[in-house]
Amino acid sequence: MQRFLDPKTLATISSLDLVAKTVVDGFVAGLHRSPDFGFSQEFAEYRAYTPGDDLRNVDWNVFARTEKTVLKRYRGETNSQLLVLLDTSASMGFGQAPMPKLDYARYLAASLAYMGNLQRDATGLIIFDDDVTNYIPPSTKQGQLTRLLHAIEHSVVGTHTDFAKPFLHFQQFLRRRGIVAVISDFYEQPTTIIKAVEPLRYHGNEVILFHILDQQEMEPTFRDSTLLIDMETKSSMEVTPEYSKTEYRKKMKDHLSSLKTAAQGAGLGYFLMNTSRPLDEGLREYLTLRQRRD
Amino acid sequence: MAFFTPAFFAAALALGLPVYIHLLKRHKTTPLPFSSLMFFEKRTQSSVKHRRLQYILLFVLRMLLLALLILAFAKPYLRSTAIASAAGNRSLVIALDQSFSMRDGKRFATAKAEARKLLDSLRGSDRVQIVTFDSQTHVLTDMTIDRMKARTALDSAEPTDAASSFADLTRQLRVLAQPVQGTLEVHLFSDMQHTSMPASFSDLELAPNIHLTPHSAATTGEPNYAVEGVIAPRHIYDPKRARIQATVAGYNTPPKRLHATLYLNGKSAAYRDADVPANGRVALEFAGFEAPYGLTRGEVRIDAADTFVQDDHFYFSTERSDPRPALFVHDPRDTRAFLYFRTALESSNEAAFTLTAAIADQAANLSVAKYAFVVLSDLAPLARGLENNLREYVRSGGSVLVLLGRQSGGRGTVPLTDLALSSARFETPEGGRFQTVTSVDDSHPALKRTAQWSGVKFYQTVPVEPGTAKVLAKLSSNSPLLLERTLGDGRILIFASPLDNIANDLPLSSTFVPFIEQVTHYLGGIDERSSNYTAGAYLDLRSAQTNAAEAKGGVEVVAPNGQRALSLAESAKAKGLTLAQEGFYDVRRPNGIRELAAVNPDRKESNLEPMPGETLELWQNTGAVSAKQGGSSRSASLTEPATVDLWWYVLLAALLLAIAESVVGNQHLSQEKEA
Repeated sequence: MQRFLDPKTLATISSLDLVAKTVVDGFVAGLHRSPDFGFSQEFAEYRAYTPGDDLRNVDWNVFARTEKTVLKRYRGETNSQLLVLLDTSASMGFGQAPMPKLDYARYLAASLAYMGNLQRDATGLIIFDDDVTNYIPPSTKQGQLTRLLHAIEHSVVGTHTDFAKPFLHFQQFLRRRGIVAVISDFYEQPTTIIKAVEPLRYHGNEVILFHILDQQEMEPTFRDSTLLIDMETKSSMEVTPEYSKTEYRKKMKDHLSSLKTAAQGAGLGYFLMNTSRPLDEGLREYLTLRQRRD
Repeated sequence: MAFFTPAFFAAALALGLPVYIHLLKRHKTTPLPFSSLMFFEKRTQSSVKHRRLQYILLFVLRMLLLALLILAFAKPYLRSTAIASAAGNRSLVIALDQSFSMRDGKRFATAKAEARKLLDSLRGSDRVQIVTFDSQTHVLTDMTIDRMKARTALDSAEPTDAASSFADLTRQLRVLAQPVQGTLEVHLFSDMQHTSMPASFSDLELAPNIHLTPHSAATTGEPNYAVEGVIAPRHIYDPKRARIQATVAGYNTPPKRLHATLYLNGKSAAYRDADVPANGRVALEFAGFEAPYGLTRGEVRIDAADTFVQDDHFYFSTERSDPRPALFVHDPRDTRAFLYFRTALESSNEAAFTLTAAIADQAANLSVAKYAFVVLSDLAPLARGLENNLREYVRSGGSVLVLLGRQSGGRGTVPLTDLALSSARFETPEGGRFQTVTSVDDSHPALKRTAQWSGVKFYQTVPVEPGTAKVLAKLSSNSPLLLERTLGDGRILIFASPLDNIANDLPLSSTFVPFIEQVTHYLGGIDERSSNYTAGAYLDLRSAQTNAAEAKGGVEVVAPNGQRALSLAESAKAKGLTLAQEGFYDVRRPNGIRELAAVNPDRKESNLEPMPGETLELWQNTGAVSAKQGGSSRSASLTEPATVDLWWYVLLAALLLAIAESVVGNQHLSQEKEA
């Protein structure tokens, strides 16, 4: 079933919801049966009704006996919220055919949204570059998945990335504890990134950084001296193949290592995703984090 | 700047190759969008710039190297009057024609005056060389700026009696042009006779740096009559039979009747009228004149009344003498051989000998020393006295012809010699078996003009063992027919068959009379060589046949001007003499024989027709053509600038560039390896 999760295969599917469904269903079907995972109707707890809760979840039997409105909750419904932060800065437009980084990031975001919806988590979406370009509040309402997928599908490459401004903005939306998935290529100094992302953690959120990189970014191969143009700043620089083979890779490796260390130091989850790798690894990371919260 | 071989610039297309490789192919890099440049450093870019700079430098060096190589192959040169004047090397050759035809009218004086005028007009730094030419080219001065020296040399030039040769002049000019840097200006003062042109025009090819400027002393071919040649016998024995033939020619002339006079020793001996056709020639014959005894100075003169009087006469020499006695000794029974021999001798144009017959017994009492030669016709053993006399006669320089036949075949040896004989081979005509002559030594004086030996049949011959004798003719049986044996200072000819028209049919063949004439002239020591020479010819003073004693003797030569032509030292050693002057050379050879050599100028000089203007122009352009073949062109200006070759410098620059290219290229490659 893994073939359904191969990026090359997914690239041939035009519909984003079908992509998400294929990924998640394929992933779930491949999981081992486990009591900790799954989507059974196993009872977990009762919780007092609060205004705004869906009346369909009220246990009317309990209300008949005790005239108290309580909600019946099942395992798998314990998490309340998943917020996906999708970076659509210009650098995310980079990538080799058939799968640019942004497409990969969109598939990942859609898959997370689909899985969140399947878990009955309130799933929201923030699309940003140097500012928030789209925001769909977390919800479990019917049609939420459709809205999310529509927003993801219509996300386009924007300008440059600025973590400080949009992340300050996110904090206003995070009233409930939940999981925050940040999907970006993180072309910024690790300290700056952590400094911007870390406040999300203060509200009790679990934050996971999905670092999306193309193979060409990690290990670039140029035959000759090449004039490179920065997709965000539009500045140009000619580089030699020798430099890209040696020093660049070392710098990139150092960068990844420092980001991972800094993220872990700040209690953030960090997962590097190569666009040539299957998407299920990212989903597994999400579910692991979700289990830890339960 | 111009180029000798501009065609090499076609190779400039090759310059496109490095352009394609360096610029179009290697630098065909389109900008590549990349997500972020935060991990690239500025110093990387500078390194690339530096390398690109080096790369461009390498490219430029290679382009320049190729361009310089192409330029070097195109052989650039500079033509600069400034360089020419700075070097002071304007070099001139004044070539003055002094051939026989320049004696016509005032041709030579005019040419010399023009040459002097040119000499006076030269600048102080100009170098000049004076040459004169006829059949040979004479370099009178070296290349000099000394005007006095050049003027003296020019003034000393006088016309000669030799023919002019433009080929020899051209050859000499090519030699003179070799050491000259730049252009050699040749000013030719001549009457430009077309007869002076060589048979092959390629002999007139000038060197590329020669610029020829002709100064013609004659513009048109003047009408001219000349005595073209005279054929006279060297010896006159019977004036009644003597014939002297002369040819009178007209060049560019109308038909005309001329009077031709034969002079012998300055006295008129005969007259003839010569009707010379238009632009043609007529042959005359003088006969029946009274010739004086001894060496005679002959001359045929016409009254042409043209401007060129020097060719209106023709000298010849002849010698009047009485016929010399010759002895024919035969067997009393054989009279046929004498009859045929005498008849043949008398049939000859020149009755040089009076033949006396004697039978063997009578001959023993004769004094043979007075005879020019002796013939022994098929004799049995000779009387001892006769044989001794003949031996002594031959040793002292006499000559004997021995005819072998039936009688002499019985002897063991050839008379007067020790050559062995076998018995005579007799074959009768009825038997149908005969021999023919298979090989003849045509170079021998006795056989020189006897060509038709093939039809002569020999029925009876006596085989002779040649031994040390020289075989002059052989029969089909490979046995000798005619042999020569020397004895002392004399010679013995041996003919292996009698002349009786029985043993062979030689007396009836056409070969017989010339054969007898040649043999008797050879035996009698009559020199048949002509004593008429063309001016410039070489006279052999000591022939190869001269014996050692004669070789040590002196030669006396009195030139036409009455002076001795040889110094004392030369008269003792000189082997030959160039007959330069027209007239009579009185030569007394070491053996005491006196000879009168008549010298006439080459009659092709009599044709005064100048060469066509187109031909002259072609000749002038031969240098330009060869220069163009070298990749250049030239103008025909007197102030032609000097030519300085630049390809050496270009090649040197290319070499330096090649070194620089390898240095830069090595650095470039080493950096790539380090990367």
